[in-house]
Amino acid sequence: MNDIDRIDAHRIACKVVDIAEAALDPAEALAFVSDPAFGGIDLFVGRVRSVNHGRIVTGIHYDMFDPLTLKVFARSAEAAIAAHGPQAKVYIAHAKGRLQVGDTAVIVAFATPHRDAAFRGCREVIEAVKHTSPIWKQEHYLDGSSEWSEGCALCVETPEPAAKVVTTIAPMHSAATDGCVCAEHAAH
Amino acid sequence: MRVSIRLFGAFRQFQERDVLDLDVADADTGSATVADVRRALDTYALSHWRGYNAGLLRSSALATEDELLRPTSAIPADGRLAVIPPVSGG
Repeated sequence: MNDIDRIDAHRIACKVVDIAEAALDPAEALAFVSDPAFGGIDLFVGRVRSVNHGRIVTGIHYDMFDPLTLKVFARSAEAAIAAHGPQAKVYIAHAKGRLQVGDTAVIVAFATPHRDAAFRGCREVIEAVKHTSPIWKQEHYLDGSSEWSEGCALCVETPEPAAKVVTTIAPMHSAATDGCVCAEHAAH
Repeated sequence: MRVSIRLFGAFRQFQERDVLDLDVADADTGSATVADVRRALDTYALSHWRGYNAGLLRSSALATEDELLRPTSAIPADGRLAVIPPVSGG
């Protein structure tokens, strides 16, 4: 049994959507996390924008390692629930394939009894999705050229406790900023 | 041993096929590790991929469908790996 099999399907929904088959649906996210006991839902919707670093973007191709991505999503959701409320519900969906400007690339919804935990949980999950999921974007520009985004290098050389070696997915961090060292995530 | 490495992101630009099959020597330990795969991949890339920069592999991880692997990790029995360049989701 793997991590995906073990997740609480009532509280956590993770999916990858091929844009050629369907679009991401914020209403589906809200419906999944809604609960009579919850007074706060934070919904993040990430869309393809028309300009990046001064260049006019015509579209983005998202490449993805689906099985590992879904496991990272589930682990991120579980970590956020543990940190921000055992009652929380989380929805994570990411598109793959060729998206046009304005298309929805990612949705995260985090619901809890109160708004503060909802805001914090949602922020934690979307940052984990951006910084630790095996997803890559290739931007296409108005002049016909294309470039893979620089991205954030994943680090597996985490500190090893004396009695146990732990391998986790984590972005390389800067001690000065406590954030991903890549320019990509500093700018977004 | 024979390994199959799935290529993602910037690695896709170097060849048409998205899987690279390589024979990996067992180095000094008698049992091949992820570090051996990295060396074999780098050697192959330098001799076959036009425009390849070794810095790309240095900033990349190797993974299975379940997790990222350390350089000292054993190669999975099925020989199936993925090379994970810096990520840029969202």
